Amino acid sequence: MTAVPVRPSASVVSLALPLIALVALVGLAVTTHRFLSLDNARAILASTAFVGITAVGATLVMIAGSGVSLATSQTATVAGMFFLATQQYGLVTAVPVALVTGVALTGLQGAVIGYWHANPIVLTIAAGFAIGGTTTWFSGGTPVYPEVVAYEVLNSTPLGLPVAVYVLLGVTVLAQFTLRGTTPGRQLYLIGSNRAAARAAGLPVGRVTVIAWAFFGACIALTGVFLASFNTSATATLGGTLTLDAIAAVLVGGTAISGGRGSAVRTLAGAVLIAVISDVLLLRGFSTGIQILVKGILVLAVVVIVHLHATRSHR
Amino acid sequence: MRRRWLVQPDHLIPVVSLVVVVVAFASAPALSGRPLQPFDVYNALQGFAQLGLLALAIGITMIAGEFDLSVVGSYAVGGMLAVSAGATSPALGVLAAVAAGAAIGAVQGGLIARLRIPSMPVTLATYIALLGLAYAMSGGLSKSYPNSDATLWVDQTLAGVFSPRSLLTLAIFVIAAVVLGGTKWGRELRAIGGDRRASRVAGVTVDGLIVWLFTVSGALAALGGALLSYSYASANPDPGLQPLILAAVAALLGGVSLAGGRGAPLGLLAGTLSVALLAQIVAVTALPDFTTQLLYAALLAVIVIVESPGLRALSDRFRARRADG
Amino acid sequence: MIRVDGLARAFHGVAAVRDVSFTVGAGEIHGLCGHNGAGKSTVVKMLSGQLAPDAGRILIDDTPVELRSRQAAQRAGVALVDQELSVVPALTVLENLLLGDIDAPLVNRRRAALARCRRVLDDMGLSRIDPGQPLSALSIGDRQLVEIAKALSQRARLVILDEPTATLTDVESSLVFAAIRRAVAATGCSVIFVSHRLAEVLELCDSVTVLRDGRTVATTPAAELTVDTLIVQMLGEPPRRLAADGKPDRDLAHALRISRLRVPGRLRDLTLTANAGRIYALAGQLGSGASDVLRAVAGLHPTAAGTVELHGRPVPVRDPVAAVRRGVAFLSNDRKSEGLFLDKSLAWNLTATRLPHLVRAGVLRPRREHAAARALAELIGLPAARLGDAVAELSGGNQQKAFVGRCLGRDDVFALLMDEPTRGVDIGGRAAIHHLLRRAADAGLVVMFASTELDELLELGDVIVTMRGGRLVNRYEGDVDGALLMRDMTQRLE
Repeated sequence: MTAVPVRPSASVVSLALPLIALVALVGLAVTTHRFLSLDNARAILASTAFVGITAVGATLVMIAGSGVSLATSQTATVAGMFFLATQQYGLVTAVPVALVTGVALTGLQGAVIGYWHANPIVLTIAAGFAIGGTTTWFSGGTPVYPEVVAYEVLNSTPLGLPVAVYVLLGVTVLAQFTLRGTTPGRQLYLIGSNRAAARAAGLPVGRVTVIAWAFFGACIALTGVFLASFNTSATATLGGTLTLDAIAAVLVGGTAISGGRGSAVRTLAGAVLIAVISDVLLLRGFSTGIQILVKGILVLAVVVIVHLHATRSHR
Repeated sequence: MRRRWLVQPDHLIPVVSLVVVVVAFASAPALSGRPLQPFDVYNALQGFAQLGLLALAIGITMIAGEFDLSVVGSYAVGGMLAVSAGATSPALGVLAAVAAGAAIGAVQGGLIARLRIPSMPVTLATYIALLGLAYAMSGGLSKSYPNSDATLWVDQTLAGVFSPRSLLTLAIFVIAAVVLGGTKWGRELRAIGGDRRASRVAGVTVDGLIVWLFTVSGALAALGGALLSYSYASANPDPGLQPLILAAVAALLGGVSLAGGRGAPLGLLAGTLSVALLAQIVAVTALPDFTTQLLYAALLAVIVIVESPGLRALSDRFRARRADG
Repeated sequence: MIRVDGLARAFHGVAAVRDVSFTVGAGEIHGLCGHNGAGKSTVVKMLSGQLAPDAGRILIDDTPVELRSRQAAQRAGVALVDQELSVVPALTVLENLLLGDIDAPLVNRRRAALARCRRVLDDMGLSRIDPGQPLSALSIGDRQLVEIAKALSQRARLVILDEPTATLTDVESSLVFAAIRRAVAATGCSVIFVSHRLAEVLELCDSVTVLRDGRTVATTPAAELTVDTLIVQMLGEPPRRLAADGKPDRDLAHALRISRLRVPGRLRDLTLTANAGRIYALAGQLGSGASDVLRAVAGLHPTAAGTVELHGRPVPVRDPVAAVRRGVAFLSNDRKSEGLFLDKSLAWNLTATRLPHLVRAGVLRPRREHAAARALAELIGLPAARLGDAVAELSGGNQQKAFVGRCLGRDDVFALLMDEPTRGVDIGGRAAIHHLLRRAADAGLVVMFASTELDELLELGDVIVTMRGGRLVNRYEGDVDGALLMRDMTQRLE
């Protein structure tokens, strides 16, 4: 008998369940004390900004079929360190320095993955070690302090929202436009959908992969810049839990880890959703542990639903 | 025949790694200025015990072509459970941890096998959830373990270099080697990692095997976490990504390929010993910490470049170009 | 003894097998032959438990059996060697022999298993193979031999071999025959041997069943058959193509010149010039090298060597991106895994390779894209309403049209290479695809396709080149007899 996986309930599950969950969430949120306030809304947006910027970049990489990077935190750290170390030349220099760092380090990984089809997990683990080790070496293990404080403007809050939120929105728009409106963006989707077919059709797999990773590198650098400005000094732990947080946001946004589908806007929504849920739980008095637990379950649920939805037409 | 056995990557890589590291370890006195002591070997074996079960857990899933990112989560939750439930009876704590790890693994294995979802996102999500669970169980802080008798027993020196913990870890590796080497499960595991479709056609019960695989990896990770928390007399809710990455490095140095189909418990043993010895060398010679990181980076870079299909295609093309008429 | 009685099976309302009946006695080697679409592979799938018949019965030793799965078939004593290898390169030869064997014990008994493996290999004439070797160290031919040895050693009552010698050399094929004979003599099992190598079939088999259009034509003892009578049984009235196409050779400067093209293990020194405006058909069965010619020109064989020139400019033979840039458009025979982006829309698939043309000031213009997609859809005969549908939801024929559509209407494509243009496509779709290919040729492209379908070769090919064993056998223009082509494709090499 041909093994045809029959899942008659798949399409029902993929529509009904998220809808029910969303309704439940909205109900829960509006009945939570202090949820419906401007301050709270601002807090939610602010907490998504740092991770969100990186997550949008990570979306491009995942769409391209390259999966995930495990070197994100270390890259953000080193970009932040370079940012602080060049403060005396002003923001005009310091920010591009950080960006170039991020783009160069990450773009190089993208090249090895795109042209030689190297395994992204192992490669980014290796890169993480290399970047982390070199950073500790050069910084001598001591925190990096800026000589001059030129980054204050980055910590300001025009219209009550941190600058990072505006940058997040800008990056999202740029990423979305690249994905939907440019040739490399379209090619990203195709390569992620079927790399062999893309190659047989003569699409520039290597070049497009590098573009995706370079964009990702720029996003990581931006997050590093904001983290450094926020913390006013940079140690080896500046990147924190960025690696996993970014991946979680991308997955909750509905991007498939196998590639070929997803969008920057959805990742933004995913990041916001995570923040909203954590916020509701916090306001209702649940511990950090429960918030993280729920986040994990959320990621699992979305991953399963996205997979069922994507494979329903494949027989 | 022996030469051919050695040339296979899943034998060559762990042997070379271990030999290089052992030689480096033996020559560490040259850098540190003092001779090696049994205590150094003991420390190295303790490091091995800390990482071993994690590496075995993630290693066997990699052999089958999967990737269990949740092992660190089971590690943390296992430690928490053991500390909570094992205050009076350490054995009970261990049992609780192993049962929980097995249950978590079984659920994941079920999802991956039945729904044919790739293992990475599922185990990543589970890892996050387990992290949260560990946090919730301990209120975000380390949970201390009151049973000091157990703590001392677990790490006591045996024969100068071993401890019950490292011996237990070694024993489990040996059991795994015997089970996988001596039964059909070993080749079936490598088969489903090497060519899933062909294995199914050949009659291997792939789905059942996958469920068992993740159950075992969850149980092993939880056991490792339980033993570690007894040793530290406290359970850490957030060990971070580092243990996962080190376990993956140990597996790769042990000859396992991320593509699957290759590797064995003894290789994983060698890989884990290599990682543990490396860490100890750095400690003994008082080399700065970042040397280990750069060393790992170099080792992994070599592995990834040598394994990448693109490089193989490049060498094929090069050979073909010479044949161009 | 195996008896098949009135088997029938349809897919989506289209009958693949209508009424097939034959008997295979114990200890008999039974050949199963038929042209493409005759229903051979469907019958094999039903006998091996992969498909359930819509009608008819299968009887093993006079007991009707229902084979619901591969495992069930195995338990009923049916072993299958499929065209696609089901041995795992990562495992050793010994491990592969044991893999999935329902009789294999849980605890390995190495010495017994090794002895048995040695015996099985020796019976196959593979004494030179060491059971401890990883399978990946063996050539493809040897791997196939190991798989066949595995099937023969499974103490089965019926062993089905589906095109087992397609990719083997003649020496390897004779090893297979000797092993089959030995296994039959030793165990009294029945063997069904499906093959298009008619001379081999007659040499090995005791009797041959021929299928045509899903029905049994005849079951005849091999001694009473010749290759020619077999061909007549397979084709009925052998199709002929009358008269040349009458088209003069087009401008030679636009030709595709292939010179000493070779791929180790698959293709030997092929030299061929294909002119623009004509359709060249490479006629060859699986393993003949026809498909490899196209892939090598498209740059998809990393070990290919030789010279290729298109429109006077050289085409690098190991670089798919460069081949595309030089105007080669290649459509693989596996549109699902190497051709189409199944989860993407028809519009996306059609415009996949012409994106740079739809861009203005760096931005993809939606209106241009829609216009291009609509124009292409019209060109290939698909309604614009379906442009938003995921290609996975289209029928096989429409998928193939989408595949072709990608290459049409472009001024930077000079050669269209297509491997199995109408695989998995119904009659109506076939006509449409052929029409598209003809239009492409009329528009001045070099069109070359590889196929095993006699009708298609005769209908479409202005020049037919037959291939066998990696070599060019003959070249036909003008009047050509289908039976002659068949002979070329199935004959034994000297």
